[in-house]
This record gives sequence, C-alpha cells and structure tokens, in this order.
Amino acid sequence: MENLIIEATKSSPYIELNCNSNVHTIKGESYPENTFAFYKPVMDWLEEYLENLEDKAVFNIEFIYFNSSSSKILMDIFDLLDEACENGKSITVNWIYDEDNDASEEYGEEFAEDLENLEFNLVVKD
Amino acid sequence: MEGLYKYQKELKKRGIILTLCGPISHEVIQSVGTILRAKLSDENASTGLILKVFSVFVEQAENIIRYSISDRHLLETYVGFGILVVGHEDNEFFITCGNKIENSKVSELEANLIKLQNMDKDELKRYYKKKRKEVSNSNSKGAGIGFIEMARKASKPIEFMFEKIDDNYSFFTVNVVI
Repeated sequence: MENLIIEATKSSPYIELNCNSNVHTIKGESYPENTFAFYKPVMDWLEEYLENLEDKAVFNIEFIYFNSSSSKILMDIFDLLDEACENGKSITVNWIYDEDNDASEEYGEEFAEDLENLEFNLVVKD
Repeated sequence: MEGLYKYQKELKKRGIILTLCGPISHEVIQSVGTILRAKLSDENASTGLILKVFSVFVEQAENIIRYSISDRHLLETYVGFGILVVGHEDNEFFITCGNKIENSKVSELEANLIKLQNMDKDELKRYYKKKRKEVSNSNSKGAGIGFIEMARKASKPIEFMFEKIDDNYSFFTVNVVI
C-alpha cells in the first residue's frame, strides 16, 4: 500500500499517512466544503492499513480549528483506532494543542473520555 | 444611490462588523472567515474568543448553504441564499443568520432548538457527545451537531424565530451571542 499525502488548504488539514514509518500527521484547519467526501480516502486508507498493522503506530494530530462535521468524522476515526487497539494493535494518538487555544485542549479531553483502548495523549505544543 | 451611506451608518450604530446578504458558498465562508479572524486579532481579541466567533460564523454560514431554499446552482458548488451578520455590542459578539426554509421543517427545528435552550452546559456536552457517536444518516449533508456546537460556544441560550412568508415557506432567524 502507498502513503497518503494530502496538502493543506485554507479549510482542510495537511494529512500524511505513512505506512513505512507508521508515524502519521494531521495538522491544520478542518471545515471542508464536503467533510465526508474529504475524509473518505482517509477512512479507506486507515481501514486497509489497520488490517495489516503489526508495529506500533503513532498519530500526531494538531488542529487549530475544526467544525462540527469534522468533529463527527474525527470521532469515527478515533473509534476505528480504538477498535483496532481492542483487537490487539498498538496505537498512540498525540493530540497536540497550543496553550492559547483552550477549546482545542477541551476537545482533546472530550475525545479521550469517549475512548477505551486507544492511548490518547494531550500534548501542549512547545 | 441615496440611502447607502445612511444604511452603512445604521449598521455601524448597531455594532455590526460585517454583513453578508445573498448567495453564500464555501469559498465565501473561507475568505470572509479569514478576514473576520484577522480583524478580531488586530483588535487584540484572545485566540479563544476569535475561534469561538469564527466557529459560530462557520456553523451559521454552513447552515445557510446546506438548508436554505434555493433552486439555483451557481459555480457548480453548493450555494445558499440568506443573510449573515456579525457584530459586537456591550462586550458581546453576536452572529445572526437568516434564511428561507420550508414550512414542513419548522416544527422539528423548533422542537430541537427549544430542547437546546433548556439545557445547561453539562447537558449540552453530554448531548453533543451522544449525537457525535451516533451513526450518521447518509442523507444528511452535515453531522447534525452544528446547533449543539453553537449552543456550547454561546454565553446565553440560542434565540430563534420563524416568520411565515406564505403557505410554503418561512423565514428562519437564529441569533447566537458570545
């Protein structure tokens, strides 16, 4: 399978899903015109990736802003990762936020509360 | 031509920072939203406050695009028709949005918004998380949690009204104060 890289726009994040390093990045803003269509390739990639994953995977996620439909998709993505961990995969999410952006911290906490198996760390940006 | 200056002065008097009236597309949200953030930042608003105002602006504008009645397809993209106002008065920001909807949608919207008006912050949080976990309806253009998101950002309950236009349509106004 190939890595998935999507360049950032004003309303959508930079995405790098890397099946060689198993370190993945999602970073920026998320309020695309059609959220479900935008994240469809990401969901499809992750489903295939998680099936064959043997090593430890890390997701570094850093959002400045995301809208409510992105929030729903992010929950779906985390649920997918959570389920994979329940089935024995080793995955860590680093939710990176700026100290000034208290909403982002709160969003991270709220995702963490709804996940059972996934290691979900809140990380303040340097 | 006369009257425009008077109109502008009236907007200024009411603390209105910007107003959009007419066709609204995703590109409009991006550009106007970026300017709005820059303007608030220039006035030394905190990051948290800027993002709150921006967040409600985006949710309101997306509601216009998704749910307003329009039979026109411009630029091969979703275009909604409505009015959106962002203002600042008495240390509060307000983001008000209005658009035409079908009368058949009124009762469900009204019930949903009254429910949100009666929830406190903890109840809104629980309701938001519950709705977010629900399997999405593939017919829905959004996640259906935009109003809850706005209610959580707001400093007082969301206000709304419906004004009947004719037997088919009503004008739907939503006001969010931060």
